[in-house]
Amino acid sequence: MPEENKVYTIFDRPFGLRFIGLLEMSFGAVGLLSTVGLLAALLTGNPEMLDGLGYIYALLIFVGVVIPNLIIGNYVDDLRKNAVIAQIIYSIIAMGLSGFFLAVRGIGYFWTVPLFEIELVLAIGNLAAMIFAAQVFIIMYLVFNWDKAVPPKGAKVVRDRGKARQMKRGLVLSPLAPTLIGSDGTTELTDEDSKRILDVRKVVTVEGMAILCSNCNGATPLTKVQDNRLQCDYCGVTLGISNVFVPCENHAEFLAATTCAVCGNHFCRKCLTAQEPPIDERWKGSTIFVCRTCFEGRYRPAVTTTSFVIPIDELFSTAGARFSSVSRIYRRFLGAYGGAMKHLWRLPLQLLSSLGKGRGSSDNCTGALIMMIIIIIAIPLIAGLLLLVGAIIIIPFLFYAGLVVVTIEAIKVISRTDFQSIDSVRIQSVIKKKTPKVKESTLRSDTRSWEQDFKSKSLAVQRKREIERRERMSRRNQDHSFVGGAGY
Amino acid sequence: MSSLQRMIMCPVCGGSVIIEHSDQVNLCTYCASPILGPNQNRNCTNHPDTLATEVCHVCKDLICDDCTEKRVGDYGGKLLTIVNCSKESCIAASDWARPLNVEYQRLANMDWADKSDNFILRITGVGAVVMMIFELYFIIGMLNLQYFTPFGSLLPTGGLFPGILVIILMVIGNILAAVLLQTSLQVYVHERQLTSGAFLIVALILEAAYLIWRGLYFNLVQVPDPLFLTILLAAFLFGTMLVFIGSLGAIYIGNKKRIQMNRAMDQLNLSTKSALKEL
Repeated sequence: MPEENKVYTIFDRPFGLRFIGLLEMSFGAVGLLSTVGLLAALLTGNPEMLDGLGYIYALLIFVGVVIPNLIIGNYVDDLRKNAVIAQIIYSIIAMGLSGFFLAVRGIGYFWTVPLFEIELVLAIGNLAAMIFAAQVFIIMYLVFNWDKAVPPKGAKVVRDRGKARQMKRGLVLSPLAPTLIGSDGTTELTDEDSKRILDVRKVVTVEGMAILCSNCNGATPLTKVQDNRLQCDYCGVTLGISNVFVPCENHAEFLAATTCAVCGNHFCRKCLTAQEPPIDERWKGSTIFVCRTCFEGRYRPAVTTTSFVIPIDELFSTAGARFSSVSRIYRRFLGAYGGAMKHLWRLPLQLLSSLGKGRGSSDNCTGALIMMIIIIIAIPLIAGLLLLVGAIIIIPFLFYAGLVVVTIEAIKVISRTDFQSIDSVRIQSVIKKKTPKVKESTLRSDTRSWEQDFKSKSLAVQRKREIERRERMSRRNQDHSFVGGAGY
Repeated sequence: MSSLQRMIMCPVCGGSVIIEHSDQVNLCTYCASPILGPNQNRNCTNHPDTLATEVCHVCKDLICDDCTEKRVGDYGGKLLTIVNCSKESCIAASDWARPLNVEYQRLANMDWADKSDNFILRITGVGAVVMMIFELYFIIGMLNLQYFTPFGSLLPTGGLFPGILVIILMVIGNILAAVLLQTSLQVYVHERQLTSGAFLIVALILEAAYLIWRGLYFNLVQVPDPLFLTILLAAFLFGTMLVFIGSLGAIYIGNKKRIQMNRAMDQLNLSTKSALKEL
């Protein structure tokens, strides 16, 4: 699907963008608090505070910090292009002002603010440094992640959470809402009822083989099946009975829920995980179920899956992508710069011509030429160097963070937590009241059958070599017989 | 509300099941799992006295083991198992998928290695994670030494800006540890176990040699804080030992699997030798 035709939802926004939105909103909230505090102090106690400029300060903070931060912060994480542009511009201004402040006052600058009976010492220099660093981070993040923060032109963005959730539900591992369902199969239960059911439900039964409920995971014995249906002993929903009466391969006490799509063996809900289905018109379901062995890529006859590839290659490609982003930004800058040069040329040329006509023209001409050289060479060079330095500083940090993430992923793999059975996912979602996260399918894109296992490996090469060897042998034999024949 | 009027839930995913056929299998509207009809007999369609074990993917009849044909179908590049009954029409409809070689499945079964593979994965994995954490700690520690202690002035710069050489050498160490980590997880996959084990040994030797060289190059014996070097050495030795034991195990078990597969190939006349004989 082309990117511009893709429908984005509010849940597609990257975590970093959400963080920026919250950061800006928190700046706005702190600014609002400062404005109110300043006004209160001026009105109640000390109207001459800040050399009589207290009201001006309050107004400046409100107009310059509170309003833009709250408005931009509210919209910037909604995947809106204009808000992202506004954020970048605002961050550049904020960075410039805080940088200027630091240059003038230094990092050791502080204010002593009266608060009731005590005095607060505020390290304003440090605050300015923090604002400066935060704005640098925001600019870098938005520029480097432009593609993620701003959807392509014409792409539809669903910002309504309810609608977005519904759209996502089409892809989640279970069609059930993250709450327990009542006995009619449709009504969502209250928290109290859910808790009562989860507290009393049992996952084993002494009455022989049982069926695990897909709603509450309670185990109801098979003896209660009537007309191939079963009413859950705990939540009361009516469950259909799966196609065959075969016990789970790993748990003889449970009836198998269905078969593993890869190996075809029967498993209960504790032994299956849900995966995105293959893209094939022959596959009818919206999900497929895979057992642990196949999920971990250990089923030999038709190996299709593996969950043991941690994204180290992505780590390097991400680091590489940062450099290409820098070069893309630089190219964009050069393009814009070239466009602006058309107008910029006019001034130095006019200057040059006017200077050339006057007296002492050789010095003036040299000056004008130097100015032109600065405009043509120095500015793009400085911009390129700044971008490169930025990239060199930020990439090691990203690389290091990436390695930490890779280590965490590896620990998860070792502790086998990446296999999530459908029953544990269900109960987790009910307890946390969160729809389970959609995970990328771990099904390998490249597959092989058992025949390819042997044949395709080296047979073609060996066959070719064998034919060549036999040809060589027959040629040699012919040569020998010819030489031998000449002797007679 | 009577149970008949209630929504019937899929026992697999919880989706709704619409009962269209009372004596045939119905499909879940969400995951398409087959669900028995209310009046459906649970026995095999062809053998009324035998409990069914599968459902035909084509006609949806219940079938027993004797009537089952398993095939491997390629669904958009992913190989999945499908089942059909012995009816001609069902065989014809499943013809696009290849029959599963049951004999091969038996000969190539490697369930015997599950326990040892679990052990090997954990040993090599934990060892590699320790090595990775050790490398991550090492780079931070070296940067701390370089920029925040007087020892930094004694560290070699290689003619570069102070600290650049430290970063370059440490990042190479980190990459080596990342490769070690990635490889250590591959020992769990049957077909990669032997090569991963061998590769791990080589990578481990490289990592150890590189580490010793870095320690000597930066003259870490002279570091004022003795705890730094002690922690590094302890973590390194512990990680190395685990990875080494795991690698040996992977090579041993992987080789046994290789022999098993070679035997299976010979028995099924699928080996390169037998193919060349046919030539």
